[in-house]
Amino acid sequence: MNSDLIDPAFWSRLQFAFTVIYHYLFPQLTMGLAWFLVYWKWRALRTGDEKYNQAVRFWAKIFGINFAVGVVTGIPMEFQFGTNWAEFTRYAGGVIGQTLAMEGMFAFFLESAFIGALIWGEKRLGPRYHFLAAVAVALGSWLSGYFILVTNAFMQHPVGYRIEANGVLGIDSLSSYLLNPWAWVQFLHNQMAALVTGSFVVTAVGAFYTMRGLHPIQARLYLRMGTLTALVASVLVAFPTGDQQAKMVGHHQPVTLAAMEGKFVGGRVAGVAVIGQPNIAARRLENPIEIPGALSFLAYGTFQSYVHGLEEYPEDAWPDNIELLYYSFHLMIMLGTIFIILMAYAGFQHWRGRLESSPWLLWVLMLAFPFPYIANTLGWMTAELGRQPWLLYGLFPTRAGYSKVVSNGDTIFTLIGFTGLYFVLGLLFLYLVGREIGHGPDDDVVVGRGEESFS
Amino acid sequence: MIATWYGIVSLMLIIYVALDGRNFGAGMLHWIVARTPEERREVVAAIGPLWSWHEVWLLSFGGTLVAVFPRLMASAFAGYYLALFLILWCLILRGISLEVGGHINDRLWQGFWDFVFVFSNCLLSILFGAAAGNVARGVPLDADGNFSMAFFTDFNVRGHVGLLDWYTMSIAVFSAVILAAHGATYLTLKTEGPVHDRSAMWAKHLWTAVGPLFFAISVESWIVRPDVPGHAIYNPFCWLGLLVVIVSIILLISGLSTRREMRAFIGSNFLIVGLLATGGAAIFPVMLYSTLAPENSLDAYAVASSPSAFHFVSIWWPVGFALAIIYFVFISRRYKGKVSVKRDTQGFY
Repeated sequence: MNSDLIDPAFWSRLQFAFTVIYHYLFPQLTMGLAWFLVYWKWRALRTGDEKYNQAVRFWAKIFGINFAVGVVTGIPMEFQFGTNWAEFTRYAGGVIGQTLAMEGMFAFFLESAFIGALIWGEKRLGPRYHFLAAVAVALGSWLSGYFILVTNAFMQHPVGYRIEANGVLGIDSLSSYLLNPWAWVQFLHNQMAALVTGSFVVTAVGAFYTMRGLHPIQARLYLRMGTLTALVASVLVAFPTGDQQAKMVGHHQPVTLAAMEGKFVGGRVAGVAVIGQPNIAARRLENPIEIPGALSFLAYGTFQSYVHGLEEYPEDAWPDNIELLYYSFHLMIMLGTIFIILMAYAGFQHWRGRLESSPWLLWVLMLAFPFPYIANTLGWMTAELGRQPWLLYGLFPTRAGYSKVVSNGDTIFTLIGFTGLYFVLGLLFLYLVGREIGHGPDDDVVVGRGEESFS
Repeated sequence: MIATWYGIVSLMLIIYVALDGRNFGAGMLHWIVARTPEERREVVAAIGPLWSWHEVWLLSFGGTLVAVFPRLMASAFAGYYLALFLILWCLILRGISLEVGGHINDRLWQGFWDFVFVFSNCLLSILFGAAAGNVARGVPLDADGNFSMAFFTDFNVRGHVGLLDWYTMSIAVFSAVILAAHGATYLTLKTEGPVHDRSAMWAKHLWTAVGPLFFAISVESWIVRPDVPGHAIYNPFCWLGLLVVIVSIILLISGLSTRREMRAFIGSNFLIVGLLATGGAAIFPVMLYSTLAPENSLDAYAVASSPSAFHFVSIWWPVGFALAIIYFVFISRRYKGKVSVKRDTQGFY
């Protein structure tokens, strides 16, 4: 038996990874879509144009399903700190608990108090309060993202803590903990990536209706707003936020940067591999095609900068899954580049007035929406695999953090349970969202073809 | 400081029980008080827009617990491993059944989700009740402050206990009955017509049953933890809790008999708050009692975070709580009065 399989930390890691990756499929759309709703609500208030209200009514339904799945899959995340990572909670709870609690008190309360008003309350609230409900939900969802990223940033780059007499962590300065520079960079990078997801989804629905010839006014609104936002957000994900993120990793986690790039030997004028597979046993990158000097320049500012190699560090300080880390990072970069090119082309076609009449482009825009989800997931895999073998970087190793009293069998059992439950949840989500898209916005112009109607 | 935070964390959990308890109760009675599809939509409309606001109180409680009593969170959550995941899965099913059921106007579809809704709410009431019973009875904590527990062992309340025994099961039954009564009182306030009349009838029956059951679990608790009443009588918060209980019983009885629904519902909420507060104050400072050896018990002072954590949380927590009260006022004003299926549910087609 592979030694990993009898390691309890492995199963708890796998369960956390699975549940958090699944969970994060939903909040990224919530955070991305929320500002579309705010913007449309605001336009409706300013112009009185009913198409904006129709757009909000339509997207609020999808937002509602998405939000509900986000809430219910989010609760297990917090619980797992206690159930599966008890030793970590004992050690760092006094610090990370601050932001977990703040997320509840400042973000979730705000979000959930107004989500019902946003989805169900248009008639009860009137237009002005309904707009404010949209703002509250959007703010709440972004705040919740910030508190979680502060928590993660502390795990990546611990600041503002002190070690107490009994050996556990205490918080030394709340402001330096909350204003961790890592958190700001990661937050902006992450939120732009969430906007990419939101705008790709809006674009895809717009492209679908355009090709079908359905809901023409709504379709144009989604397609234009979607591609424009997607272009801006895709650029911002890469530069400056992604660039700053990579510099931060290079500065604080040089061994992680070496692993992300598959650099075994350090040196100046280090290149970025466009293609290549890391071969850990032979300690080299197979069939690399590199852009010379790019890594030195991007990470440290000059082509002559020295980039550390993995061989400068003991093997037990290496991230424990270099291949996966390498592929995650590189695929994320590749997808991000494609997003920029695709949306720049869409913007160009829009400028020429041909956005709605380019069938190939519409096909690609419609089918592109899963890829931001993949890119977001890969980004998080890069962050979390890159942090290994540490749970708290430089302070507390991952293998020390799991719950000693929980057996492997228990964790495998609950992992299987989550797999089954989340599979059904995913099917339901896709079915219901697909159904809402099939039904379309209530503009009473064209009724969707093949839509079953119960009444 | 630590005693204050014991109170605050307990308060957050108690608020959660009072808020989400109404949903559990309404969920358990869903099939009984609402017979036709339209009536069932009415029950869902009474819960629908606010269930996530109620549920996040549990998350805020959990987060605050990590911040101020991390070692309690670590011991208790790992020890209750499987039971907690059962609760999590039921919470997932409960939320999904509310959201998903309303999307398609089809008898089979809604019938199925109504079943999931009733089932998960019943199980949640029982599991939360059993969890409360476990806190009162204690768990098999070892000298390192760890435990792991079977679902049941020999159904005895001493030594190597399981999650379920005669005591925790009777607390679970009590919890199901009182939450059902709470839910019925809520539905009386929020609905009209046949659902209202059936809820009012059930509220009376269930509250009548709560009386003798409460007497029974009080005697049982005294048998299981004879050490508690001795020092509880010196704790002023126990007396305060009992005062709240007495006042809310008066409110409840007068509200139910004079059909002042708001008064009855306030009484119902504060009765739950008062009972849990009395219990919480009675076991203080022990947060998790050891059934193996009393000296293994985890008290608030032993599981507390460092003083700095308390210092910082004391700065921001009041702000967050004040905001929560503002949202609560907004919600109470916006959602006051009876629900209407047309206005308060998602339009389906």
